[in-house]
Amino acid sequence: MKKSGLLLLLSLVLVVSAFALAGCGSKEPTEPADPGNEPAAELPAGVQAIKDSGQLRVGVKADVPNFGLLDAATNKYAGMEIDLAYALAERMGLTKDDVKFEAVTAKTRGPLLDNGQLDVVIATFTIKPERLEQWNFSEPYYQDEVGLLVKKSSGIKGLADLDGKVVGVAQGATSRDAVQVEADKAGIKVSFLEFATYPEINAALESGRVDAFSVDKSILSGYVTENSVILPDGFSPQDYGAAMKKGADDLTDFFNEMLAEMESNGDMAALLKKWNLS
Amino acid sequence: MADLLANIDFLQEGPFSVPRWEALFANIGQLWQGALVTVLVASLGLALALALGTVLGVMSSSQWRIPRGFARGYVEFFQNTPLLIQVFMLYNAIPMLVPGLFIPVIAIGILGVGMYHGAYMAEVVRAGIQSIGHGQLEAALSQGFSYVGAMRYIIIPQAMRIVLPPLTNQAVSLIKNTSVLAIIAGGDLMYAGDSFAGRYGHYGPTYIVVGLLYFLMCFPLARLTRRLESRTRAN
Amino acid sequence: MNTFMDSPVMVMLSDPVLYLGLGQGLLLTLQIAGISIALSFVIGTVLGAMRYSGLPVISHVAATYIEVVRNLPQLLLILVSYFVLGLPAMWAAVIGLTIYTAAIIAEVIRGGLNSVMTGQWEAARSQGFSYLQAMRYIVLPPAVVKMIPPIVSQFVTVIKDSSFAMAIGAYELMFKGTILAAKYWKPEQIITIYLAISLIYFAINFTISQIARRMQTKWSAGRGTIGS
Repeated sequence: MKKSGLLLLLSLVLVVSAFALAGCGSKEPTEPADPGNEPAAELPAGVQAIKDSGQLRVGVKADVPNFGLLDAATNKYAGMEIDLAYALAERMGLTKDDVKFEAVTAKTRGPLLDNGQLDVVIATFTIKPERLEQWNFSEPYYQDEVGLLVKKSSGIKGLADLDGKVVGVAQGATSRDAVQVEADKAGIKVSFLEFATYPEINAALESGRVDAFSVDKSILSGYVTENSVILPDGFSPQDYGAAMKKGADDLTDFFNEMLAEMESNGDMAALLKKWNLS
Repeated sequence: MADLLANIDFLQEGPFSVPRWEALFANIGQLWQGALVTVLVASLGLALALALGTVLGVMSSSQWRIPRGFARGYVEFFQNTPLLIQVFMLYNAIPMLVPGLFIPVIAIGILGVGMYHGAYMAEVVRAGIQSIGHGQLEAALSQGFSYVGAMRYIIIPQAMRIVLPPLTNQAVSLIKNTSVLAIIAGGDLMYAGDSFAGRYGHYGPTYIVVGLLYFLMCFPLARLTRRLESRTRAN
Repeated sequence: MNTFMDSPVMVMLSDPVLYLGLGQGLLLTLQIAGISIALSFVIGTVLGAMRYSGLPVISHVAATYIEVVRNLPQLLLILVSYFVLGLPAMWAAVIGLTIYTAAIIAEVIRGGLNSVMTGQWEAARSQGFSYLQAMRYIVLPPAVVKMIPPIVSQFVTVIKDSSFAMAIGAYELMFKGTILAAKYWKPEQIITIYLAISLIYFAINFTISQIARRMQTKWSAGRGTIGS
C-alpha cells in the first residue's frame, strides 16, 4: 500500500492509543483502614447478612457537588451522602474500603435496588408516597426543594416568566410533577422535555433547546456557571431518604438508628457544615 | 377465576404485574402518538436516505476525482461515527453556532437517519453500479448516450434489481435507528415508552409493547428483503 | 500569544482531566464492544448451528429468535437488559448488544458457508476428503474470507451502538463526553468535545475497516475462481 496511506493509518492508531492509555493511567488509590470504633453489638439478621458478605454496595450520585461527586482525576467519590455511606458501613463493623460505590442516575437507582444489585441507595432520592410503595425509605436526612436554572441572558426572573416556555427535566425524577403543580397554581403553561442524564439537560439549556433546567437545587448547584443562575423560586420541599429494597426492614431500622444518633450527638450538623449545606 | 389470578404472585407483583399492564393500556395513547412520529420520521428519513444514497453512489463510481473524493469522504465519515453523536451535533451544536437556529426535533431525526443511512445506501448503489461493469457503460456511450443518460436508462435500472435487497435491509435498520430520538426527547415511540415507564417503573409491559410495535413495523420489510433476495438469486 | 492560550478551547485542551475522562470512556467502550463481539461469535455459531441443524423444534426456536431480535432497535434491547433483566450498566450494554449481534453473526456464518457448500463440498468428498478435511481445506478458507466484510462491519456497528449505553448511565465514551461538556459548557468547548468524540470513534472504526479491507484483498488474492 502507498506510503501516505500507511502513515495515515499509523497516526490514527497513535491517536487512539494515546487516548486509551490516558484512560488506563488513573488508578484507584487505597485508603488507610479506619480503626473500628463501634461496639460489636448483635446485628439484626438483614444487616448481618451484608456484613458477612464483606461489602456494602451503595448507589450514589456521581455528578452532584457536595452530595455525591466523582473526581475524575482520582476516581474517588466525595460528598455528604458518601460520608453517610461510610458511617453506615462502620456502624455495622465494616471499613471504608468495604464500601462499593456505584454511580446511579434518577432513572437507574430504583431498578438497581429491585434487582438486588445494591444494598442501599443514598443518591438525592426524594421520599414520595408512590415511591414508598416500591421501596423502603429511611427517615429524611436532608430537605431540599426543586429549583430552576436559567441562563442569565434569557431575562427570566421567576416562575411566572416561564409561561409558554420549555422546561428540561430528568426522566424518572419528581421535578416534572413538582413544576407542573406550581405552574398550575400560577396559572401558566409550560411544556417539558425529558432526558436521561443531567449533563444532557445542561447542554440543552446552553444551546437553548430548553429555557429552564429543573431539578433539586442541590443538584443544580453543580451546573451553575457564570452564564446561568438558579432562580430564587423554590418549591415542593423534597425530603431525601436512603432507599432500600422493599421489605429490607432490618437495614432501614438500622439506618434510622444511625440517623437519630447522628442528629442527637451533633454529627449530622457537623456533616452538613462540612459540605456547606444548611 | 379472578381469585385464582389474584393468587399468582407473578401477576400481582413484580415487573410484569397486572396493575402495570392496566396502567399501560390506560395510557396507550401516548405510545400511539410516539409510533406516529416514528412512522413519519422513518418514511421521510428513508426518502432522504434513498435520494442521498443514489446521488452519492453514482458520484463514487464516477471517473472524475472530485465527486468521487467527496462521496468517499462522506461515506467514510458517516459510516465510522455513531448516529448518536451526529444527532447531538445537530441538536445542541447547531443552535450554539447559529444562535437561535432550532431545527425541530423531528427534522433532526429525519436528517440524522437520512444522512447516516444515506452513506450505507451509497455503498450499496456503488456496488450495484460496479457489478454492471464498464462494458455496458462504454457500449452505451458509444451509442451516443450522454454519461447521465447512460446511467439513467441503462446502468441504474439494472443495478436497482441487484441493489433492492440490501436497500430494504438498510430500510429496516433505519426504522430501528429512529429510536435515537428517545435520547434527545424527540417524541418518538421509544421516547414515549421510556417516558411513561420511567415515571412509575412500569418497564416490563411498556418495553414489550414498544418492541412489538417496532417488530410490526420492521418485519414486513424484512420478509420483503428475503423474497427479493431469493428472486435475485433465482435470476 | 497569551490570549490564544487563554481561550476557552485551549484552557480545556490543556486540562488533563479532559483526556482522563475521554480515555476512561474509550476504554469502557472498547471493553463493552470487545466482550459483546466475542460473546456474539460464540452464541452466533451455536445459534447458526441450531437454525440449520434440520431438527424441527430446535431450528424453529432459533429461527424465531433471530427473526424477532433482528427487528428490534439496539437501544430497546439495551434498556430491557438494564431495567427488566436488572444487569449493571456495563453488562446490560454488553448483553443488549450481544442479543442482537449474535443473531446477525448467525446469519453471516450461514451466508458464508452457503456460498461454498454444495459444489466444492461434493467435489471434495468425492475426491476422498473426510468431513473434517473438506471443511478445513476446501470450505472454510474461502467462506471465512467471504465472511470478513460483514463481520467487521458488524464489529464497527457494535462500537458505534455502544454509545446508546449512555441512556443507562454506562460511563462509556459518549456519556463521559457529555459529562465533560457540562464542565466545559461554553459553546466552543462543547463543540470541540463533540468533534473530539467523533474523531476518536472515526479513528478506531476507520482503522479497523481498513485493516480488514487489506486482509481481505491479501487473502482472496491467490484464489482465482475457486471460492470467489
